[in-house]
Amino acid sequence: MWSAAYGLIALAVVAFVTLYAAMHTPNVASANLADQLYNAKKWTAGNLTSLPRTDNPAHFAVSSGNIVEVKVVNIAVSGGTFPVQLPTGYKLSAKSDNLLYELYLNIISCKPATLHGGAAVTLYVVELRHSLSQLPWLEVYAAVPRNVTRYYSWLYNLYTVWGRPLAVGLDPRVGADVNAGLVELVKAEWALVYDAASGTTKLYAAAPPSAPYILVVDYPLAIPLACP
Amino acid sequence: MIALRDILIFAGLAALAAAVIASLFPAGEGVSAVPACSDCAFKLTGGYWIRQYGNYASFHHGTREMARYGWAYIDGFPLRIGEIMGCDPMYVHVLDGIAYVSCSGGDGPTFGRGVLNSPPWAVFISADPSRPGCTYVINAAVNESATIQLYVYDESGRLVYSASSPSPATFTFSLPVAGTYRMRIYAPPLLDQWYTLQARVSITASKAAVYTSDNTQDLRSSISLKIFDLTDYWKRGYTSVTVRINPAGASFTLTAPPNAFADYLLAWEDCRSCPCDATQDLYKDQVWRLTFTPSGPVLTRIHSQGGYWHEVYADGRLIYTWKKSGPKNDRYTGTDPTISVRFVSEDSSMNAEATFTKICAWR
Repeated sequence: MWSAAYGLIALAVVAFVTLYAAMHTPNVASANLADQLYNAKKWTAGNLTSLPRTDNPAHFAVSSGNIVEVKVVNIAVSGGTFPVQLPTGYKLSAKSDNLLYELYLNIISCKPATLHGGAAVTLYVVELRHSLSQLPWLEVYAAVPRNVTRYYSWLYNLYTVWGRPLAVGLDPRVGADVNAGLVELVKAEWALVYDAASGTTKLYAAAPPSAPYILVVDYPLAIPLACP
Repeated sequence: MIALRDILIFAGLAALAAAVIASLFPAGEGVSAVPACSDCAFKLTGGYWIRQYGNYASFHHGTREMARYGWAYIDGFPLRIGEIMGCDPMYVHVLDGIAYVSCSGGDGPTFGRGVLNSPPWAVFISADPSRPGCTYVINAAVNESATIQLYVYDESGRLVYSASSPSPATFTFSLPVAGTYRMRIYAPPLLDQWYTLQARVSITASKAAVYTSDNTQDLRSSISLKIFDLTDYWKRGYTSVTVRINPAGASFTLTAPPNAFADYLLAWEDCRSCPCDATQDLYKDQVWRLTFTPSGPVLTRIHSQGGYWHEVYADGRLIYTWKKSGPKNDRYTGTDPTISVRFVSEDSSMNAEATFTKICAWR
């Protein structure tokens, strides 16, 4: 009997020591900011098409995140006139462990401009705020329809099928646009300019006038922006 | 039985020996090593402490240095050189070789600052002068669920428009008469803002002057076109107004127009130095009325006379001629928000032009 008791006591001591050692040995988890950033952007990219949209600029201003500002305009095609939503602003927010990914994009103005070579372009001026000071993968593309008439009649057909205004570049998924063979993505010239007086960063992008929207790419996130 | 007892005793002794050896490891001599990594997260229990040096931060246990990192931040703030801190347990996030330490657990440090400005309220105003009156679109929102109320008062404090809608709200209203209005947007307790709305007609003119009451002077050297602004009389409830326009006191009586945004009488003289008969014919050669109606600015002829030929242009188009072949329209309807009127005489020094533009402003 006594030896059994000795055995149990010894087992208890072993268990205590093992537990104590385990508790005091640091349990190392890896922390990878790059992966966290990628996950946050991937999550945002996957939800971009289903984010709430508003055409009320005041509502957009007071919203705290994950909302798209659209402007509804009417487009005339041979079949009639139909409304489309043009995405003009984004407030995106995603949290991934240690990383807060927030992106604010808002079109300030669109104006016709001429490049050095004489090409006519539309100059997009976009206010850009980013929660991390750097945007390592920023790229800007212009979505140029191969045939403008066909592109807009395709949008019109989609509108008649869906029976609701669709968002250009955003709604029939951006990829779907490209796959339908109607739109070609071409690299757009762009520049980021920091204005110290107002503390804002502006993204200037030049796109062909026929482009219905531009894509601001923070890979893997691609954000369509259109000029009203 | 005996065999079982022996086995138990042997196992117990073995375990005891193992426990004694193992216990030496964490409790006394052997302390768990602090991981040396550049990107990782771990928790330290026991008597660990940190000291910041000039170019690195050391994790110590007792007097032994366990690991070095680039710098140590405690709850978001960097340690000063020479500073020491410790707590139990200690949560450490190492990112790019910098140690971010928290004593209260949680998620560790957060990278990225919030950049989505979301003020408690926002109001956006836009106005369209090309629609009837001044059509304002007010977008308002507060960052919690509330009802937004909107009140618009005219110069004498009368309520001319009011509406309420849950946030986010869009209000569309039209100010039918030119004037200065006060608008209150109210959503207690977050939002209580006053704005001034100015609905008016701006006039740019050459050889012309604007009056708000009679003017009987002979101003021919510089002014050939007298513009009488009658809007205020109609706003004050007059049903008719008599305007005296020349030294002889010649007058025109006008009755209140229905639903007019603004109303003007235009009196023009065609001759610079004519010896007019007792000046009673001055500023009567072309008399027109310009009324901004809901369907656009309307120009109506009231009176014509004179020895010279005249041409009257509206928006650059010839609409009326006097003593000359050409169109004889007594009425012209322009499109909002602008109309321009030009009077041309045989005596070209009397040519006068005026452009009326409806302006819907706010501040």
